[in-house]
Amino acid sequence: MAEPEQDRRRAADGVTADGPGRVLVAVYGVFALAAGARAAVQLSTRFADAPVAYLLSALAAVVYLVATVALARGGRRTALVAISIELAGVLVVGTLSLLDRAAFPDETVWSAYGRGYLFIPLVLPVLGLLWLRRSRRPAATG
Amino acid sequence: MTPALVVGTTVVAALLALAGLASTVARRRIGLLHLWGAALLEAVLLVQAVLALVLLARGERLADTPTFLGYLGGIVLLPVAGALWARSEPSRWAGTVLAVAAGAVGVMIWRLSQLWEATGG
Repeated sequence: MAEPEQDRRRAADGVTADGPGRVLVAVYGVFALAAGARAAVQLSTRFADAPVAYLLSALAAVVYLVATVALARGGRRTALVAISIELAGVLVVGTLSLLDRAAFPDETVWSAYGRGYLFIPLVLPVLGLLWLRRSRRPAATG
Repeated sequence: MTPALVVGTTVVAALLALAGLASTVARRRIGLLHLWGAALLEAVLLVQAVLALVLLARGERLADTPTFLGYLGGIVLLPVAGALWARSEPSRWAGTVLAVAAGAVGVMIWRLSQLWEATGG
């Protein structure tokens, strides 16, 4: 019923938080919440055990939060930066956590490429980048 | 964290996720059914949360209380946030948004249950 109105809105500008983008924001929000809660607990109760791993955990939480807000509000440049850091983070931390288990004694969202989270942390930034590309204004394409 | 409530929460979350995905597949917006489902899920979670907090206040010992409380605080926010975020979406994707929130609740309730079972020495 509301389809025509919504289509007009989507065609009008390169919004990132409508349609499938809204689902993406929801998933990012869940991860911001999960990573944030995890990092807060790790930093406040056992920071000295693994400072590097827990700081990376906190970085992951911040990146998810920034990406969530940027996608929700249509901040394409911020979203692009946050999602790029996220992709690099999951690849680097994922690799390091497998190579050097001693440095990552506790799971973070990016450990082993996000295995503890059904590998969603690995897929999410790829979907995010694809969505940013697909939702561009027609004028900005090509 | 009684097993019955954990299973009950999982069932409500699964049904809400299915209802959400169904409305996306059918290219429809979400309806009252979805909002009532989210309300029911929230109610079950609040019962669960109050029970857990009462038991903790009475001296129940967990191995990792901060993490438990972190998850508990997060999980009660999910249905509300999901419903609000889905309601302002005028397209068929609103259902999938609710399904994401419901799915996250369905996973997190089992993690909460694990954390509850792990008692402190």
